[in-house]
Amino acid sequence: MSSAIRRVGWMAGAVLAITCAVSIAAWAGGSGFGDDDDNSEEEGPSYFGFVRDASGATVPDAKVTVGVKNRGGVVTRTDLLGTYKVPGFGKEVDPKDVEVSCDKPGYKQLRVVRRSSPSSDPKIPIETECTLQRI
Amino acid sequence: MRGRVIAGMVGAVIMASATVAVLSNRTGAQSPFGDPNAEPSPFNPQMGALMSMLIQPRHTKLGLAGNGENWPLAGYMLKELRQGFAVVAKAVPRWKGLPVPDLVDAAVSQPLTLLDYAIKLKYRRQFDEAYEGLTKGCNACHATTDHAFVVIKVPDASSFPDQEFAPQR
Repeated sequence: MSSAIRRVGWMAGAVLAITCAVSIAAWAGGSGFGDDDDNSEEEGPSYFGFVRDASGATVPDAKVTVGVKNRGGVVTRTDLLGTYKVPGFGKEVDPKDVEVSCDKPGYKQLRVVRRSSPSSDPKIPIETECTLQRI
Repeated sequence: MRGRVIAGMVGAVIMASATVAVLSNRTGAQSPFGDPNAEPSPFNPQMGALMSMLIQPRHTKLGLAGNGENWPLAGYMLKELRQGFAVVAKAVPRWKGLPVPDLVDAAVSQPLTLLDYAIKLKYRRQFDEAYEGLTKGCNACHATTDHAFVVIKVPDASSFPDQEFAPQR
């Protein structure tokens, strides 16, 4: 009887230990733009940039659409610093097919300038700056 | 009986040898903090260390100087803080892939300019507003770089007990 209880206890301990180990490994992966991200090669380059007005000041809370030609895309908003960040679409997507546009009530898009090409370092995002002009 | 004594003696000899081996190895091995005989390597602090060394203390001292309306000290700390940001942007031009000079510019350039005016005019209210803008800029940049948990605030006490922040007459 006692050996059966011990066996059950041992198994429960083993299950708990495995669960903890797996959880810690999963948490360590994280997401976003962290130094610990190790999946950037599979995801392809990420996309980052500022939205500015015609004077060069950054524009927070602007709508930014990062789309892949004929495949849809994602919509995000600029943060307090006027930046947006979008993870990669997968390495099969050619960054040349990725287009950025921006919008905000009271503004119209003036221009979009890609500031960088894909880097050999997968952690470096492709930077595209979008400029808005007050209507 | 005799066999047990011999076995015990052999065991003791093995233990003693193992202890000596471990100790001699330890004295010869490299410390976890490095080899004392190695050539000094260039000091290369990264973002966290640079923020703690060059930015946060200067932000604090600038706030304390403004709070004390010690305008010469505030002007000096503003210059030091500007230089700190320039050093950081030069030392770590990209962090987590993001362009540090552009982020610093977006986060603090405008409030630093406003602080400069406020200090030159010795205008406390404008100083307070611009300092709050600077502090918000710091936090906005922390959020952009996935460090929103590092929250900077206007200092409510001095962390420099050996420095006077009130103006000296």
